[in-house]
Amino acid sequence: MSGALLQVRDLQVDYAGNRAVDVRMLSVSRGEMVGVVGANGAGKSTLVNALIGWSRGDPVVRGEVELSGQRITAWSAHQRVRAGLALVPEGRLVFGRMTVEDNLSTAFAPKASAGQRVYSRDDIFELFPRLLERRQHLGSQLSGGERQMLGIGRALMMGPQLLLLDEPSIGLAPMLVSQVLQTLRKLAASGLAILLVEQNVRAALEVVDRLVLLERGRVVLEGPAAQMGSDPRIAQAYLGAHA
Amino acid sequence: MNLTQQLINGLVLGHAYALVAIGWTLLLGVARLVNFGHGQMYMLGAFVTWWAVVKAGVPYALALPIAMAIGALFGLLMQRVMLKATFEQNLVSIMIMTLGFGYVLQGGAALVFGSTGQILDTALSRSEIKLGELWLTQQDLAIVLVAIAVFVGLKWLLDGTRIGRLVRMVAEDPKLAQLAGVNVRRVYYGVFAFEGAAVAFAAGMVAPRTPILTSMGFEEVIMTFVVVVLGGIGSVTGSYVAGVALGLFTALFGALVSPAYTTAACFLVLIAVLVLRPGGLGAGSTAGVH
Repeated sequence: MSGALLQVRDLQVDYAGNRAVDVRMLSVSRGEMVGVVGANGAGKSTLVNALIGWSRGDPVVRGEVELSGQRITAWSAHQRVRAGLALVPEGRLVFGRMTVEDNLSTAFAPKASAGQRVYSRDDIFELFPRLLERRQHLGSQLSGGERQMLGIGRALMMGPQLLLLDEPSIGLAPMLVSQVLQTLRKLAASGLAILLVEQNVRAALEVVDRLVLLERGRVVLEGPAAQMGSDPRIAQAYLGAHA
Repeated sequence: MNLTQQLINGLVLGHAYALVAIGWTLLLGVARLVNFGHGQMYMLGAFVTWWAVVKAGVPYALALPIAMAIGALFGLLMQRVMLKATFEQNLVSIMIMTLGFGYVLQGGAALVFGSTGQILDTALSRSEIKLGELWLTQQDLAIVLVAIAVFVGLKWLLDGTRIGRLVRMVAEDPKLAQLAGVNVRRVYYGVFAFEGAAVAFAAGMVAPRTPILTSMGFEEVIMTFVVVVLGGIGSVTGSYVAGVALGLFTALFGALVSPAYTTAACFLVLIAVLVLRPGGLGAGSTAGVH
């Protein structure tokens, strides 16, 4: 897709010689919400981590990643964050020894450009009023849902052009899942590009514009959410429909 | 023996310990690193201050920032060499490299400054304060006041400023800090530079109390180790309390029992504390700097 905010070409990620991701082409446009779904071990987390140059292991990454036409493949994670990528990692990771307010600190002053919004702490508290009530609590004292909200809030504080989320619904109560996903939908409607990795395909289909199915690290199916929901491969494997 | 005088000596010694240890406290808390070259960096700071004052005729107040700048430079150099090991948290390599770095510093210092002991005399160390039978120098008083100021300043920096928040992020989870846009590499460099500058400053303040030799450093690194572990890894307040407590203990043990066994006694205390309170006096801290 030309003019896309994020362009990925021939992205390969290897762990100890084993290929975890092999994506020929992937793109996300401004204001678009793209869902990446797949079974456990399909390479979803590895994909988003590679996009932002972040990993707890030591993978070998090849290929091209472009953000707003800028090649960012060789950049470190903090440089990509400053360029407009933000990740809400799996596991609801927050700084447990820091207060909610301190968790929302940034290392730089994000610039508003090309429709990119700069969020203040007050904006985050407006988006997630629960965090306002808990602003002086330590990250370790928060519930799972609150930690997820804080993770999203922290990512938004970076003023991203593209927000990456890795399994935000894992371990959350269904009502909270719906609340978090609807908030993401609103953010996409305001112009933010979102790439959502999600195991809960049914929930993802309700909010995303486009769905990408990953199997063994490869994109095997891709299309508008409305069509993908009725695709037999998605329906049988992920929505519990019988052939 | 005058007990009050021993308490004064202990307080001065304790603040000196705390001041010497502050850089390592931050280093251990943020980068989870030990620096066994710390003692030789102390020695270098003392000799640079001595050289600036005695040989170059620089005022003492200006010699201190010169020593700090050189200390910071050596800290940066060390981190440059050990950056990969720091990121990988390769603690064995880091311990050996810092130990080796210390010996290189010691040899280099002997080459530059000679192996003769030197005295760093300052106007403050020559001025005495007498209160009846009690006695201390203005240098001693300055050590206490400066140590308190440095600890309060560092605590404020860590808890009350944006830079402090970023340092705490790196201390708690360097990988996650990257996602907050933090340049972790730069923070590690900054912490090493701070350690080098802080220990050089401490040396410039404390060295006028004793003769300085290029072979010194072992006692400083041992006492620093005791202070940072006793205080709780990464605990700024804990290090201050542990430093002062250790100084008082050393002074009183030396006066009441024998100065010959004070180091052994300090380690006995350290072992006892670690058995009873494994996290040190600042227990409750698991990771990070605070």
